[in-house]
Amino acid sequence: MEQPVQTETWKARSLEELIRILHQIFAEDKVSVEEVQALMESYESNPEEWLQYAKFDQYRYTRNLVDNGNGKFNLMILCWGEGHGSSIHDHTDSHCFMKILQGNLKETLFEWPEKKGNGEMTKKSERVLRENQCAYINDSIGLHRVENISHTEPAVSLHLYSPPFNSCNTFDQRTGHKHKVTMTFYSQFGERTVCATGAPQENN
Amino acid sequence: MLGQAPPPVATTERPWGTWAQAASLLRAQRMTKRDRGKAGRPGPPVRTVALPRGEQRDRGSRGHGQPPPRGDLPCSFRGHRTLPLPPPPTPPLSGPLPAGLSQWFPALEVLDVSGTGLTEMGTELLSLPCLHTLLAKNNRLGGPGSLPKGLGQAPLARSLRVLNLSGNRFSEVPPALLQLRGLRSLSLGGNRLQGIPPDIQELHSLEFLYLGGNFITAIPPELAKLPSLRYLVLCDNKIQSIPPQLAQLHSLRSLSLHNNLLTYLPREILNLVHLDELSLRGNPLVVRFVRDLTYNPPSLQELAGRTVKTRNIPYTPSDLPEGLVRYLSLASNCPNPKCGGVYFDSCVRQIKFVDFCGKYRLPLMHYLCSPECSSPFSSASQSSTSQSESDSEDEASVAAHRMQKVLLG
Repeated sequence: MEQPVQTETWKARSLEELIRILHQIFAEDKVSVEEVQALMESYESNPEEWLQYAKFDQYRYTRNLVDNGNGKFNLMILCWGEGHGSSIHDHTDSHCFMKILQGNLKETLFEWPEKKGNGEMTKKSERVLRENQCAYINDSIGLHRVENISHTEPAVSLHLYSPPFNSCNTFDQRTGHKHKVTMTFYSQFGERTVCATGAPQENN
Repeated sequence: MLGQAPPPVATTERPWGTWAQAASLLRAQRMTKRDRGKAGRPGPPVRTVALPRGEQRDRGSRGHGQPPPRGDLPCSFRGHRTLPLPPPPTPPLSGPLPAGLSQWFPALEVLDVSGTGLTEMGTELLSLPCLHTLLAKNNRLGGPGSLPKGLGQAPLARSLRVLNLSGNRFSEVPPALLQLRGLRSLSLGGNRLQGIPPDIQELHSLEFLYLGGNFITAIPPELAKLPSLRYLVLCDNKIQSIPPQLAQLHSLRSLSLHNNLLTYLPREILNLVHLDELSLRGNPLVVRFVRDLTYNPPSLQELAGRTVKTRNIPYTPSDLPEGLVRYLSLASNCPNPKCGGVYFDSCVRQIKFVDFCGKYRLPLMHYLCSPECSSPFSSASQSSTSQSESDSEDEASVAAHRMQKVLLG
């Protein structure tokens, strides 16, 4: 994805249509970030269309694969129970779009830590994303932490990552130290995937 | 979460109406759900109008509280097990659950009255014979009488498994709640709780406890007496320290402590072998070594308690007042492996940093039963403690390796 080629105004009237248009867009050699972001925002969340993917876990947020974009992107739904949040993480040189389908999510942006980082990481900004809003981030913009700060409402978000990736780095806010983690899917295409994991994995 | 998958659903606007209209709407919704089931996809949870709020607003003229004669009830209605109540029209309505609820829905297992402006549950709750899930979040509950008297004797006390009172106005855990002996999942998130009552231990079946977003300053050690507790959320409070007894929560898999006022953790936290999740961000954890040499001499009660424990003096609950039996059960073992001692409240406190391969240094508070047990860091003895120091380092490093996978930075 480099310079925007042409920015059309898409309107996705359903989740199926959103996915169809995404396939169309990503079939091209060049894809515009603005175009994808506008398309994701245009889709008005309809729970009936995505409920089958929205599988919650008691203890932490879940990643539920919706579509694997012919290898060009991963589209997934994340389910955040009350108080669930991620660690600070990067995006392995990929583009990340995050659209709120239900509830609210707080996004806190951080600067990359210094090479010899041994101090508290620098917070750049924070905001609360509302239903149907779509945020965008990549490694050149910075790192972020995403959390459902509500104690009463669960939250659901739709994420698109391109190219797909299954590992990233998490960062300790107090020291800037990073730690590589592998990501897993709680479900794929609406089916629960049970992984045989001994150690807990960062569900990023 | 909260013991069940929550229904994330868009709200639907439906007109208010009479009982009969509500029943037909319910029937229609259930048919749609069945159709969707045939297509192999789960339908949306029932979230439509069930009980008419209009009748509550205008009790006198519409004869609220007078359900129609039994003959009018459609059979499918009687068997209905799930009942959500939609949010009222503005202004929000107060008042208890409508009378006749248990007559109309005798098989009710799930009741959702979230966001209905309730200020008190009312006595109708006591008549529901088999309710296992009660969702009452985002209401105006919290004043005295929010929960009806006699809750402990109602069928609910044995049947209720899930209770969600998040987003209300409770400034203390209502004592009536502690009579719900069958409770597995309890949420009081986003209320105004200042503390947790020691009697929380009465809820001995509790597996899931959400207390995030309150004003809690301290945790009673009695919380550790919940043998089945797997998920404990204490984030977004004002907690300054964690009692070491919390390490007795052997079933604990997830502990949420982020955004509190913790400067250190008890060393015993490394004993939570099943812990998969631990959130600590947003706490002013100390990063530098802290020397704390203050030592308050033990009280007479403490000295007596220590003697009972270390000499294994037998006693039964009938020998002592209940308070002392409880006190004795809260003894902690001195972590110094060379010392077989116990302590209750009086101890030497010392912070040691457990290093997780240079990535994360966790300040763990070591409670030692007396200055004689202190490490060489203190001004006390030097000789015999060197061996004990290395022993405790070994066990700390094993636990630290396990904990490394848990800390999410």
